[in-house]
Amino acid sequence: MPRLVWRDRAPPQKADERLTPIPTASVDLDECISRLYKKELLDERVIEAICAKTKELLMRESNVVHVQAPVTVVGDIHGQFYDLIEIFRIGGFCPDTNYLFLGDYVDRGMFSVETISLLVCLKLRYPNRIHLIRGNHESRGVTQSYGFYTECSRKYGNANVWHSFTDMFDYLTLSVVIDDKIFCVHGGLSPSIHSIDQIKIIDRFREIPHEGPMADLVWSDPDPDRDEFSLSPRGAGYTFGSQVVKKFLSVNNMTHILRAHQLCQEGYQTLFDDQLSTVWSAPNYCYRCGNQASVLEVNDQGERFFNVFSAAPENDQVKDQMNEKVAEPNALPDYFL
Amino acid sequence: MSLPPPTGFPGRSPPVPTTTFPSPPSVISPPPSTTVRPTSRTPFPDPANTPQATRTHQQGPFTISATKLPILKAGPIDSLTSRLGIPIPEMIFGDNVLSITHAPSGWSIFFSAEPALDLVDKTGASMLRVAYASSWSATREKTSAGITEVVKPFDWSYTTSYRGSEHPSPSHKLHKADPKKTQIPLELLKRRDPILFADEVVLYESELDDNGISMLSVKVRVMEQRMLLLCRFFMRLDNVLVRVRDTRVYVEFGTETVLREYTAREDSFENVKRNLYMSGLTPDAITVAFRDANQLANLIPVVEHEIEEVQLAGAGGGSSS
Repeated sequence: MPRLVWRDRAPPQKADERLTPIPTASVDLDECISRLYKKELLDERVIEAICAKTKELLMRESNVVHVQAPVTVVGDIHGQFYDLIEIFRIGGFCPDTNYLFLGDYVDRGMFSVETISLLVCLKLRYPNRIHLIRGNHESRGVTQSYGFYTECSRKYGNANVWHSFTDMFDYLTLSVVIDDKIFCVHGGLSPSIHSIDQIKIIDRFREIPHEGPMADLVWSDPDPDRDEFSLSPRGAGYTFGSQVVKKFLSVNNMTHILRAHQLCQEGYQTLFDDQLSTVWSAPNYCYRCGNQASVLEVNDQGERFFNVFSAAPENDQVKDQMNEKVAEPNALPDYFL
Repeated sequence: MSLPPPTGFPGRSPPVPTTTFPSPPSVISPPPSTTVRPTSRTPFPDPANTPQATRTHQQGPFTISATKLPILKAGPIDSLTSRLGIPIPEMIFGDNVLSITHAPSGWSIFFSAEPALDLVDKTGASMLRVAYASSWSATREKTSAGITEVVKPFDWSYTTSYRGSEHPSPSHKLHKADPKKTQIPLELLKRRDPILFADEVVLYESELDDNGISMLSVKVRVMEQRMLLLCRFFMRLDNVLVRVRDTRVYVEFGTETVLREYTAREDSFENVKRNLYMSGLTPDAITVAFRDANQLANLIPVVEHEIEEVQLAGAGGGSSS
């Protein structure tokens, strides 16, 4: 059995975050992966060691990672672990299929910990076969409001794994380019970025800021009714229109923008004369939207093919569990007032 | 050290030194590598088959009906957007309906997303700003120069004062009642009478670009002698504001009386947070509570309250007495 054994000590951590001493880690990645496929949780100290190693790996990646087709591109997962496994069943398991994930691995779903644990182990095990882009939910701020923090505390009894994962999130890359032609990002374009060289100089090793090009890349949305950038009515953030897309592709000599970030009932949406696609990979989002999901296969000719799928049947158990949980404090049914 | 022959990756990014991460030679065993094409499992009924998506319950002269379907597709979203004139929430359950019908009189009330969204301010007059908006625009003045256009100003918090859509009959219409005299009998509703029919439908939900939550949902429970419907709008704009707007419809089957009560609650995020803290919650529990309107509602002061009534007895033919 091949083993990846680390005999070195994990790097020193911030004292306030690490109350227990970190033992010498000895991690068998293949064993971790097979346990995670069975949806078993890894030990807190193993997560810590894996995240530390992943940080070292990600630190070496550029803000713009270049890859070659064929590759299967996956949009938002949001902790829907069973549907992630469904994606592997449909698209092929790692490393037989190359994967590019566009971010938003955690929050909202019931299994953010299992989902991000598996993806991180796969990244560490097959660093060139799987790429993980940062989404707006890979952030300390957002995960405190939308479920990942609470899930970590509930499943581990403390927030240590949340600290390990969110520290690692600061190192995830911001974008990927497939075959020099397809620009892949979580949200969209930024008025501060005309050439992808401007992405390369962003200091990305930090929490996602509220403003600036790094925020725009993970936050912005296309607006098919507009030509240029517009300010969001919320007072922060942009939408980008058709001329922005056209200009960006022409300046960078590319043909297509591929992003995630927006729920669509059909699982995908193509805009601006097929110059931009949204891929959404969380079917029946939040276990109640009833939407389809898709993954996008880019073949070695650069052709794009959406593979649409529905929620995995295992989710039905989750729904039952959720209903039980809701009913736990009182007797079922709900005597609301 | 050797992976199976690469199928494309890596690209041109400098390869990670393999000395740091020696890749074990063998491939993990569990995953089968065959590509399985998706099966057509449909957890939700097709919108074309609305009857199959609808549950109906008859109690005396009243019919209660709940239709639950997936979020709208791109086509229906476009037409709804142009009908309303504002961008619609990302989770839009435009086909969902919860209705109460009194057949003898022809009176009915239903709850659905479109009329609720039609009440959202479309002018931008009551537009909120996210907590970091001023620092955002200050630091972006250089890059934002020339980008002055705000996309369709409107109340993007999707705040609605929707109380349901009433279809009055010629002689029966909800009218204002005196809140001192007319009240929903809470004591009767606290009794654990068997629930004969219950359902909950979401009408719309938005994550406000992860600045909070805005959600409108309706739930109903029917007992032998009475029923209660609660349509709740819950909106939390992080570090700014919390709103809960409840519409309750109470039906007493014996007297065929319908009451509709509207209660709007609103407070600053800061006050709600302080009240949660004062109630003895830990910071973690406060985080959880901020996602749960049930925990927040009673901590937030009432800013508007109104009660209406309609008496349907004696309408049309017979009535259950």
